[in-house]
Amino acid sequence: MDTQAILMDYIKKELMKGRNVDISPSDDLLGSGIIDSLGILQLVSFIEERFNFQVPDEDVVFENFFSVEALTNYLKNAQAAA
Amino acid sequence: MIRRLLILNGLAILGVILFHSSGWGFVAMFAWVHRYMPATTDTFAQAGGTAYYAFRLIEQLIVVSIPAFLFVSGFFIAFATGRTHKTVGWNIVGARIKNLLIPYLLWSLLAFAMGMVLDGRRLSPLAYVQLLLTGGATPAYYYVILLCQFYLFSPFLVPLAKKHWVLLLSVALVLQLAVQILQYPVILGLDVPSGMQPFVDRVPKWFFATRAFWFTLGVVFGFHLKTLKAWITRYKWVWLGLTVVTYVLGVIEWEMYIKWSGHIGMAHRETLLDNVFSIAFIFAFFAFANVSILWSKQLGWLGGKSFGIYMAHVPVMEVTARAIYHLAPWLLAYQILFQPILIVLGLGIPLLLIVLMERSPARRYYQYVFG
Repeated sequence: MDTQAILMDYIKKELMKGRNVDISPSDDLLGSGIIDSLGILQLVSFIEERFNFQVPDEDVVFENFFSVEALTNYLKNAQAAA
Repeated sequence: MIRRLLILNGLAILGVILFHSSGWGFVAMFAWVHRYMPATTDTFAQAGGTAYYAFRLIEQLIVVSIPAFLFVSGFFIAFATGRTHKTVGWNIVGARIKNLLIPYLLWSLLAFAMGMVLDGRRLSPLAYVQLLLTGGATPAYYYVILLCQFYLFSPFLVPLAKKHWVLLLSVALVLQLAVQILQYPVILGLDVPSGMQPFVDRVPKWFFATRAFWFTLGVVFGFHLKTLKAWITRYKWVWLGLTVVTYVLGVIEWEMYIKWSGHIGMAHRETLLDNVFSIAFIFAFFAFANVSILWSKQLGWLGGKSFGIYMAHVPVMEVTARAIYHLAPWLLAYQILFQPILIVLGLGIPLLLIVLMERSPARRYYQYVFG
């Protein structure tokens, strides 16, 4: 699975708990209530374990976690720069 | 530090479980004493014993739990605002409140039903509405109403937290301290002018001003993370020392208030000193971010489910304590047995319900039950 598919799978299974809501990679994760205060922390934890990549505190911002697409792009850029 | 927030949430929910099990411990020790001791026994005969001080030590440590939850929630608001937006979007605020209120309503209705079945307590529709609006279905649900208020204020707090954070923090602290000071006449058992009585009698726990500083601190931390992280790390030994000193002083302080007021069974309230302890604890926790914490993965896992555990543990603990009261009152005399039962069931049953729901076809409704 590629990064986007892995993230989408985690969000659907663990954060959305299989709710019958279709989400696309560009959907707003916060405004739609998919991610809350604990969800974002869980997502950071998951990324660090799954991709073996330490997300710097200053990178945990809305712009990078706004959507699955934004997060995928951030991870690609950050991992390439690391 | 971000990962540390989830661990802090995990510690905080464990703290809440211990706090409420200690609360039931005090009930067993004082109010239910005649279930296992002769009727002539003094209600407060066990005050000052080993179990009493064990509970006090736990209570004192746990005062940081609600501040920690609010700090994490405030931090989320900073995250949700982002770097480029002026303030947090109302759509995000609305989604958060919706995700809090639906489980809140469900668990509150369950608490009302339990009140009817167990105590035959039937109130007027207006009284039920009043309880719902003030988080009064159980003594613990005020937290949801408190948090909703902060989320509603957050679009106005964010611009201040970005540009005038020192002023904002100062105002929030002064507001919180002012409200807490109002409780001191009750704590000390002092006579107050009658006009002041309504304010002094009860400052409701759901009122935002009682905890205004903690949420604001979280928001400010989120926006000025680099600066504040460097600052708290520079003084890390100060925070650690202050945590230990204020913890010990807090225990002594409350014992002195009990002696002065003469109210042996007085429920603990947050004192001014407790604020210093909570600040020092939170700062020390992040200042030593490089120190690994035992069972951090498990604590993080608990932290991720903290809201569900918070809502579900209240009825579970109440049913457990009452069942023991009716079926095995002798257990109430042995806190060494009573406490582990409360803690294991108070944490275990909510976790079991959460895990079962996650793995069942009903998981699509999980958010409505456990948030």
